[in-house]
Amino acid sequence: MARILYIEDIQDNITLVEKIVSSRGHEFLYAKDAETGLEKAFSSKPDLILLDLGLPDADGQTLSVWLKGDPSLEKIPIIVLTAWPEEVVQDTVKAYNLNGYLCKPFSMADLLKIIEKALNPKSS
Amino acid sequence: MTIELISAAHFSMQELTELYNQTRVDYLVPMPMNAERLAEYVHDFDIDLAHSCVARSAEGEMLGLSMLGIRRNKAWVTRLGVLPASRRTGAGSALMDFMLEGAASLGLKETDLEVIKNNMPAYNLFRQKGFTETSEYLVMRRAPHSGTEPLQGNVTWLEADEASETLQSYPQHLTWINAYESMRNSPNIQGMKIELPNGSTGWLVYRNTKFTLRSTLSHLIMHTEQGDPQEVGTQLLLNLHTRFPHHDTYAENIPHDDPHLSAFQASGYFTNFARIEMRRVIP
Repeated sequence: MARILYIEDIQDNITLVEKIVSSRGHEFLYAKDAETGLEKAFSSKPDLILLDLGLPDADGQTLSVWLKGDPSLEKIPIIVLTAWPEEVVQDTVKAYNLNGYLCKPFSMADLLKIIEKALNPKSS
Repeated sequence: MTIELISAAHFSMQELTELYNQTRVDYLVPMPMNAERLAEYVHDFDIDLAHSCVARSAEGEMLGLSMLGIRRNKAWVTRLGVLPASRRTGAGSALMDFMLEGAASLGLKETDLEVIKNNMPAYNLFRQKGFTETSEYLVMRRAPHSGTEPLQGNVTWLEADEASETLQSYPQHLTWINAYESMRNSPNIQGMKIELPNGSTGWLVYRNTKFTLRSTLSHLIMHTEQGDPQEVGTQLLLNLHTRFPHHDTYAENIPHDDPHLSAFQASGYFTNFARIEMRRVIP
């Protein structure tokens, strides 16, 4: 089972994703802003980060730069979960060298599928 | 519904932040804030909280808020938002009326605002209140990466005072967030001037803001004094990103017809979304 960190400021979204992630036995951690997300990434070294782009202190793109810029965190896959228009998210994922995205609203099956793909990239 | 309008000065920054974030929860581009960022916003953009406003129902339920920036002879409406469950109740219209009456009471004849393109409910409200479009602006991002083109030109890096002074010479209109006053209010303003081998000259003023681990660049304002804007702009950006190779960059309110647009695109910038600036002038 994997350790998954979700960085998102809206509690309803955290609750929903926690239910889905925990249903597969993964360990779930969350942070509600970029600074806390960064601290938790350093302290817990998650296997996967799920990232919202709209955060209250620094936005998700900037946080991804900080995460990817640290040698101890750079290999952790980052999946963007966002309500942004899909074409903008595609450009963002490509420019920031992220590992995938899912546009809100998404289904439980879609989230589990992208998590498994990120955790096991060679098997997909 | 009976709507009470209360000056935002009666609320703490934390209360205003929580209300603001709730109004944006379902936006395509939510841009949430924390109290520290909102306080910085109030400072940098000359928001007058006494003339800003919170809307509340007679039962005490929070409905929305709006803020008013004030400078010399101009006003700026910003952060206007209504909670999703309270839309179509007249709260947005009431908030706008409070802003416009506040501006009029101060003798301010011109009020600006920006609306995200395709936010039709807000756009239509502003039209009803007498605002008309002035221009369209782009909000662009650039992830850190190394450039491949060779650097050219003699570059002079500018500290805050020199950067502010340079920005004062900008010949075109700047939206409120990039205006001289907004940049001067920030402790993070810096700049650069360039002279290319062919004699072309130009400058770039920006903010360099420090966060926990890294800094970010934002609020880029570029001007070509002499020569081809694409060539000058490309070299300004190449030199900027070579000096700050790990900085994430957020360029707000670049005019849609800016002559440096191709330089931004060639330097790896891509558009996140567009804004429409609107203005209301009373005789």
